[in-house]
This record gives sequence, structure tokens and C-alpha cells, in this order.
Amino acid sequence: MIRRSHTAVVERNVRWSGTFATEPYEAAWASEAAFFIRTLKPGTLRAEAAARVQISPDGMRWADEGTAVPLLAEPGVTFGRVSRFGGWLRLAGELGPGDALTVIVYLVLKE
Amino acid sequence: MRKRRTLPRPVRPVRAPAPPADRLAADSPATLSLKAAVASSDPRLSRFSPLSRILFFDDFDDGFNGWGGHIGNYEGSLDTMLPAYRDLRPPMLSTIPMWDTGSVGALDGTYALKLATRPAAGSLAVAIKRLTWRYAGPIQIEFIFTFKPEASALELLETGVRAFGFAFDLQAGDRDPAPRERVMPHLRYLNALDGRRMEKWQFKRAVEPLRDVGGSGKTRSHFHLAPSGWEDVPDGGQQLCYNEIATKHNWYYVKIGFDLASMVFTAFRCNDREFDPAGIAPMRFPAMPNLSCMLNPFVWVEADGDTRAFLYIDSIVLSADVDA
Repeated sequence: MIRRSHTAVVERNVRWSGTFATEPYEAAWASEAAFFIRTLKPGTLRAEAAARVQISPDGMRWADEGTAVPLLAEPGVTFGRVSRFGGWLRLAGELGPGDALTVIVYLVLKE
Repeated sequence: MRKRRTLPRPVRPVRAPAPPADRLAADSPATLSLKAAVASSDPRLSRFSPLSRILFFDDFDDGFNGWGGHIGNYEGSLDTMLPAYRDLRPPMLSTIPMWDTGSVGALDGTYALKLATRPAAGSLAVAIKRLTWRYAGPIQIEFIFTFKPEASALELLETGVRAFGFAFDLQAGDRDPAPRERVMPHLRYLNALDGRRMEKWQFKRAVEPLRDVGGSGKTRSHFHLAPSGWEDVPDGGQQLCYNEIATKHNWYYVKIGFDLASMVFTAFRCNDREFDPAGIAPMRFPAMPNLSCMLNPFVWVEADGDTRAFLYIDSIVLSADVDA
């Protein structure tokens, strides 16, 4: 049996600055997931930064899962992989004062 | 608060669907009887009332079944997209988990298709499935669905969902006689508006302006889900079973019939209410390039305040008479 999978675009052409978080995404059917963050155009990033993978029991209260996805100032792609995450996933993070990125974020899920 | 436009124009009478001149062999009475027997013996199908040929039966325990996110047209850059299209939220598969009672689950099985808005008034989530039709005859779509806002407060939250809706995006075949049209039947349940409970069905025949996108002349876009132009379905008020707290869900049934030959509504039902299809009409405008025989059903949900609005769909059946 071929395993089911799905790619969700959870942010598209969105500008991140200050504190950011992707919308909650339910994925209890999947046993593994990868977040990809693609920087779409040159941005401003004055220090190394990353988005944190977070998990939740209810889609409203979140805890860091421990995986970080690096952020890029220039166009490019980074990723972070997680498994055994329960039912909910999102990314959260903070950018420094004056920093901003325009990104598209993919959540790639597999049974 | 947005200013709303009302369109008190009369709806033109519904023409009876034209008998198909080129129809393939219709099912014999024996075949129809056998089909009915098979459908009624399957508990998942027997809750539907499909036309003679099922084009798809999507149960979201089996996956997304081709229901994906929606996006506006663009050219050269995503920045060229009409602003209202930029952040339509995508579907997911949900066990309908509640913070207080755990997963609700689907009507049967575990997963429902879920649409979730951002926590902002006017935020939309849309799921669409794209097909083409083979035969310009009657079609019918049926949904088992429920809706609720995110249970973000220990309150009823009955006005958290502004609206949810069901629609088609259709176009004539490339050899069909003029005037070839693109036709978009839209129906929505306006649950609340600006914090006030509304609880009524509406349709939209007003066509939003078509705007050029990009600059090549090949791409145009119009935001058909805009808040303007909605009209009340005659006698379309209906109280649904919202239930008593924000974490309790009841499933509903809706059925929409449409004729691809005459491009008019033929049926509209929600639970115990059958609405007169003569009182509702679709958007109609000249056919556009590259959309011949388009048959796209789509669904959406819209938030009314700073609470996420959710629409859940257990299963969907699209059916047609004879062949489509």
C-alpha cells in the first residue's frame, strides 16, 4: 500500500517581522512531517534566526517541540523534520528589530 | 462596518432542463433498480440521494480526494494577485479535537475535511476540486457538514462564524452555441454579520468586476466571494442545530441541484427545508479562455470576528443524470 502524503502551503508570500507564528495545522493522520521555509525575495536579517516547531493538544496552547528551522535573508530553502508530534503543528519565532523576511512555508506530511 | 449593496431585481423563472439530444443510453429501469439497491445497502451512501451516476463520492477518511487550497490568478509575481485572494486558508484533515472533550471524529470514521480561517473578521478558507464535464445535463452535489468557531473562550461564540458556502465554477464547452457563458452558482449560509446573528441562506448573481492581472492580457481575475451583492434566498431563514456550547457539533445535510444545459438551479435543500430553486440564480458572464467544460465545486468559510471559523465536511457526493 502506498503511503498517503500531502503538501500544505501554510503561508504564502507573507512578510514576517517581529513575533510570528503560522496558523495551526491539524495533521494527526501523519506520522512524519517536514516544514520547508523558502525566502522569496531578499530580506533583512542582522543575526542568525530560526523558526521553532511547536505542538499542541488543542490548537490553542503551544509547546516547543525542539526542532528549529533556520531562516535565510536571501532567497533559498531551509527545512526541519519532526515525528511523533500528536495532532497539531505550527512554526513560531521572533525576528530582531528592523528585520523582515518574505516567505512561503510548506508543511509536507506523510503517513 | 462595510456598506452592503442589495439587489432587489426579480429572478427570472427557471426553465425546465432541456432533454439531452445527444444523451448516451439511459440506464434501464432494471439498472436503476440495481443501483438503488446497491446504494441503499451501503450505509455511507444510503444517507445520500444521488442522481443516476455518481461522479465522485469523497469520504475524507480516505484522504483529501483532490480538495485543495484555492488561489487567485497571478502573472510574473505573487504580488500581482488581487489582495482578497492572497491569504485564502487551505484545507486539512481533522479529528475535530476539542480542548474539553477530545476528538469529535467524523460522522463515520475518524477524519473530516476542515477549513479554518485566521482569527480575523472577513478571513476566508476555501477548498476546491477541479473537474470537467462530459455531458451538459443535470448534476447534483450533496454534503454532510458541520461548522463552529474555534472554542477560544468559555462562551457560546455563536457569532464567530460569519458564513459558509457551497458553489460551482462552470463554463460551456468550446463548441456550444453562443452565448457561451461562464456560470457560477453560489449559495451561502449567513450565520452572523458584525456580531449579529443572521441565520439565513443567500445566493449571489452579481458579478464582481473582472480585472487584468499582470499585463500580458492573458490573465484576469475577479473576487466572486466579495461581501457585496448577496441576496436572500426566498423564505431562506433557517435555524440550524448550533448546540449549547462551542465544543458540541451536529452534522447537517445540504443538496444542490444544477442543470448544465440551461445553467439554472434545479434543487436546494438543507436538512428539513426544501427551498424553491426558481428563487435563486447564479452569476453569469461571457465565457473566458482556457475554461471549456469546467466543473469546479468549492466550499468556504468566513470569520466574523477575531475567532477562527471552522467548516468540517464528512463526505461529498457529486452525481449526474446519465453521463457527465
